[in-house]
Amino acid sequence: MAAAAAPALRCSLWQRRPLRRGPGVRPAPGGGASLRLCSTRVAQEGINKPVIDRIIRVDHAGEYGANRIYAGQMAVLGRSSVGPVIQQMWNQEKDHLKKFNELMVAYRVRPTVLLPFWNVAGFVLGAGSALLGRKGAMACTVAVEESISEHYNNQIRTLIEEDPEKYKELLQVIKQFRDDEQEHHDIGLEHDAETAPAYSVLKTAIQLGCKAAIFLSERI
Amino acid sequence: KMAAAGGLRRAGWRLWRGRAAVRCQQYPPLRALQASAALRRAPDEHKKEPLASSSQQHFDSPPAGHQPEQKPQGPYSSYTGQGGQESEDYESEEQLQHRILTAALEFVPEHGWTAEAIAEGAKTLGLSVAAAGLFHSDGSELILHFVSECNTKLSELLKKEQKLVQLGEAEKKPIDEFLRDAVEARLRMLIPYIEKWPQALSVLLLPRNIPSSLNLLTSMIDDIWHYAGDQSTDFNWYTRRAVLTGIYNTTELVMMQDSSPGFEDTWRFLANRVADAMTMSNTASQVQSTGEAVVQGLMGAAVTVSNTAGL
Repeated sequence: MAAAAAPALRCSLWQRRPLRRGPGVRPAPGGGASLRLCSTRVAQEGINKPVIDRIIRVDHAGEYGANRIYAGQMAVLGRSSVGPVIQQMWNQEKDHLKKFNELMVAYRVRPTVLLPFWNVAGFVLGAGSALLGRKGAMACTVAVEESISEHYNNQIRTLIEEDPEKYKELLQVIKQFRDDEQEHHDIGLEHDAETAPAYSVLKTAIQLGCKAAIFLSERI
Repeated sequence: KMAAAGGLRRAGWRLWRGRAAVRCQQYPPLRALQASAALRRAPDEHKKEPLASSSQQHFDSPPAGHQPEQKPQGPYSSYTGQGGQESEDYESEEQLQHRILTAALEFVPEHGWTAEAIAEGAKTLGLSVAAAGLFHSDGSELILHFVSECNTKLSELLKKEQKLVQLGEAEKKPIDEFLRDAVEARLRMLIPYIEKWPQALSVLLLPRNIPSSLNLLTSMIDDIWHYAGDQSTDFNWYTRRAVLTGIYNTTELVMMQDSSPGFEDTWRFLANRVADAMTMSNTASQVQSTGEAVVQGLMGAAVTVSNTAGL
């Protein structure tokens, strides 16, 4: 019966949320009144809050981590020949992070609790890979940027499946950033990443780490 | 009469079983509409008024100095595709429960957070007192409903204030004053019910209710910080909310024990806690900048030594 189905649908929508949040105001199925039962904030009308929350949280964490990786690489290789290249990529990541900081405030998304951890882990990864030499640093860049591009592509697919019109601005941002990350990936390859010591092992390990980081940051 | 009571019992049982599954929702899951229909058919009671949207403007607001219920909850439009059982402006289970609980609040100072209060509330709406059977006997839903309503009121109050500041009609408050005022405004909503509030607190701490009550608490604290202008996107986000939660909870407990006129002891306690928090954050940033300066000094010393030693 439609009436029984409608409340069940609403129930499951609320259950999809992470526990700490109250549901926002939702248009009730059948176009009825939206009851604020346990909500204390006005959700931006009509957006799929859980999905957007995750997307922004994990992207913010990703850009934050990327920043720290480049910072680590610069700490070791800052004065070498690849210093300017890394610096330029780092500057772009800083812009990305700034943008996600703004989006995070605009959508009232909570940051991942693991940020201090990504702070240290990113720096250690960047510095560690740079200690393997220029090529090691480039290999790390290639691995991370490839992971991130794939991850952005997944998000673009998700948003387009949801509603390309509603999320137009967010889609534009993510597409732009995906193109930037792809460019970094290509720069890494140009700088002989593939001839780095233990390239395939390094790449696999780093990409596994990225997958784990993405999984955790979406949820915690 | 038997069919109605049987329907209610069945609905209540489904309520018990369904409750565990619901995490974020404050109310029992929507059940078959028979339960509310049964309520209305209960004999020997007043024929329930037609569920026109205007009817919900008649519920009483809580007593004594309490802000009256803000705008009504909006038109209760019909669900399409019903079994054609009821009239066009049929309201949902949730909306009915919402109305009953709101009406019940008036009776809480007298009866406590109990089924009696809910029964009295249902009576004022022209429903059978058996409506109290829709809810738990410990008054969980009533309390959660009340907390939810208070949080909504606080949210609207903060939003109004923000609008005034944006229009330039009011000064932007400094953070400590803003937090003090927000917490005080929220705690003042408890004053009409203060006698029975300790009972409510203990019910909110029941394991069954903790997910919902925690949810409500965290969204309220997040709201206050949002309107205070918090734009942190790092771990500070968590620190600030944890600190404010601590301030709120301790002040609430102090308020329970406070017998001073106008709760002035409580507000003084609150002001001190907020001041402490500000000091703590100032100290933290001072420590950080001192730490950074020390590190720079050490680096400089190391460079000097290495240069001197010709390394």
